[in-house]
Amino acid sequence: MSSFLTSSFMHNIFGGLAQGVIFSLVALSLVIIWQSTHVLNFAQGAMAMFATYVGLTEIGRGVGYWWCVLLSVVVGMALGGATERVLIRPLYGKPEINPIVVMVGFLAVLEAVATSIWTSTARTIAAPFSQIYFQSHGKLVLLSPFIIFQIVLAIGIMLLVAALFRFTKLGLQLRASALAPEVARLLGVRVNRMLTIGWMLSAGVGAIAAVILASGSFGLFPTDMDGVFVAGFIAAAVGGLESPIGAIAGGLLIGLAEQFILAYWSPNVAPLGGIIILVVALMIRPQGIFTKSVGRRV
Amino acid sequence: MTWPGSFRKQETTHVRLLTVLGLTVLTLAVTILLPPVADSQLAGGAAITIVILGLSWLIGWSGQISLGNSGFMAVGAYAAGIWAHHHTASPLIFTFLLATLVGGISGLIVAIPSTRLRGPYLAGMTLAFAAAIAPLAQNFTSVTGGEGGLFFNTLTTPAWFLHFFSGANASINANAQWTADLAVVIAGFMFFLMANLFHSRSGRAMRLVRDNDVAAELMGINLSRTRTLAFVVAAAFAGLGGSLFAIINATVRPESFPLTLSITLLTLMVLGGIGTLSGAVIGGIIYSFSANLVSHVNSLTGVNPTSNLGSNMQGIIFGVLLILTMLFAPRGIAGVVQRIRSFVHSRS
Repeated sequence: MSSFLTSSFMHNIFGGLAQGVIFSLVALSLVIIWQSTHVLNFAQGAMAMFATYVGLTEIGRGVGYWWCVLLSVVVGMALGGATERVLIRPLYGKPEINPIVVMVGFLAVLEAVATSIWTSTARTIAAPFSQIYFQSHGKLVLLSPFIIFQIVLAIGIMLLVAALFRFTKLGLQLRASALAPEVARLLGVRVNRMLTIGWMLSAGVGAIAAVILASGSFGLFPTDMDGVFVAGFIAAAVGGLESPIGAIAGGLLIGLAEQFILAYWSPNVAPLGGIIILVVALMIRPQGIFTKSVGRRV
Repeated sequence: MTWPGSFRKQETTHVRLLTVLGLTVLTLAVTILLPPVADSQLAGGAAITIVILGLSWLIGWSGQISLGNSGFMAVGAYAAGIWAHHHTASPLIFTFLLATLVGGISGLIVAIPSTRLRGPYLAGMTLAFAAAIAPLAQNFTSVTGGEGGLFFNTLTTPAWFLHFFSGANASINANAQWTADLAVVIAGFMFFLMANLFHSRSGRAMRLVRDNDVAAELMGINLSRTRTLAFVVAAAFAGLGGSLFAIINATVRPESFPLTLSITLLTLMVLGGIGTLSGAVIGGIIYSFSANLVSHVNSLTGVNPTSNLGSNMQGIIFGVLLILTMLFAPRGIAGVVQRIRSFVHSRS
C-alpha cells in the first residue's frame, strides 16, 4: 500500500486532482453564469484574480488568512453583481458576440489595472496549512496538508452551491429564472435580481479558485488566471456548459489529463491535451457529455 | 447576350481596383514624407491590417467568433521564420506564399471541429488554440529556436530603391521606407482580394449563412463548407500578416504573439467597424500609431510613462475603448461615419 501511495502514478493522480479542483471551480462558476444569462464570461478569471488581489493587500495589515479569503469572496461577489448591472444588462437581446466582446474588453482592463497597481510579480498569501509533503517509509507522498485543504475547500464550496440551488427558495427562484424567465416573472420572481445574484454567486465561486492559487507555493500573478480560465472553459464545455456536475467532472478530467501529459511528455504540450479532449468530446456529443441535447430553435 | 448585371459587376471590380491603387499610391507617397520611426510603425500597421481584414471577414461576414487569430499569426510567422532562417536567399514572395498556405492549413485544422460549434463555444475553442501555440513553439526547440526564437535577415532594400530615395548617407531612412512600402503594397493587394471576396458569390453565401442558416441550406449552400472556407481565408490572411510582421522585425519568438494580441486584434476590428473593409484599414492605422496615442494620453494625464500605470496604459485604453464601442457604437468608426453621411444626405 505504501509503495502504491508513493508511486509516480499516484503522484500524478494527486497533482492532477489538486489542479483539477481549481479548474472545476472555474468551470462551475462559468456554468452558473451561462445558466442564468447565457453569457460565457471571458473575464471570469480576471475578475477572480482582481478580487483576490484586493483580499491579498489586507494580509499586510495583520488580518488573518480567513478574513482575507472572506474579503476576496465578498469583493468578487460585488464585482460580479456590478458587472452584470453595468456591462451585461444593456446587452440582453443583442447578438451573442456583443457580450463576448465586452467581457474580453473587461478582461484587458482588469489585467492592465491589476498589473499597474500590484506589478506583474506573483504574490502569495500563506494558508495556515503546511505545504510540506507527507512521507511514507522515507518516500514522498505528493499530498500535503495544504493540498488536502485545497481539495476539501473546493469540494465544500461545490456542495454548498449545489445545496443552495437544490434546497433553498433562492435556489428555486434562480433555477426558475434561468429555465423560464417569463413564467417565473409572472409567478412573482424578480428575474432581473436573480440574474444579478447568479453573477454574484458565480464570481464568488471564481474568487475561491483564485484564492487557492494564491495560497499555493507559486502564488498568483495578474495574468495567471488566463490559462486557468481556458482550462475551466474546456471543462465546462466538455460537460455542456449547462451542467454543474459535468463542469466539476470536466475540471477533474482536464486536471488529470494535463498532469499526465506534463509528467510523461512535456509541460509545454499540456495545454494541447485539453483541446484534444474538447474536440473529441464535442465530436461525440456536440451538446456536451452531461446535458440532454436540445434542438436549436430556428 | 450579356446581362446588364454582368457588365455592372465588371465595372465595380474596375472601380475597386482603381480605388485600391489610388489609396496605395497615396500611402506610398506619404511614406516618403514620414520619418523612419513612423515608417516602421506604418509597416506594422499594414501587417495588422491584413490580419484584421481576415478577422472582419470571419466575424462580420460569416458570423463566427474567433479569439484565436494571434495563433494563426504565430503559425504563419513561424512558417516564414523557419523557411527564411534556413533559406536566406529564397525570394520573399515565396516566403509569404508559404506562410499564407501554412496559415490556411492551420485554419482548416481548427475549422474542422470548430465549425460545428456556435458562438461562445467557438470563441472559447479558438482562445484555447491561441493559448496553446506559444508553449508548443517552446517545446520543439530544434525547429523553432525555443525561448530565444529564430533570427533571419531577408529584408534587404534593393539597390535601385536606395539609389532613388537616398543620398549617400541616409540609408536608414530608405530602409524604413522600403519596409513600409513593401508592407503597404502587400496590404493593398490583400485589401483588393478581400474587397472582391466580399462581393463574390462566396461572400454573399457567407452573409446568408450568418443571417439565416436554414434559408441558406434550403438554397443549396453547404453550411459546413462555407463556414470552413471562412476560417481558412481568415487564417490565411492572419498567416500572411503574421509572416509580414516577423519579416519586418527579422525575428519570431514565442512571446511575439501573446494572447493579448488576439484581444488587441478584436479591439481594432470592433473600433474600425465589424465587417467593413474601411474598418480594417482604420484599425491598422490606429495600431500603427497606438504607441503615440498612449504616450499622448500619458502626458495629458501626467502619468509617468515608465511607471507601472504608464506601461499598462495601452491595455487600459484599448479595453475601455472596446467596451465603450460595443455598448454605444457597436458598428465602430466606419458605422458612425456612414451614419453621419446618411444623415447629411437626408438633410440635403
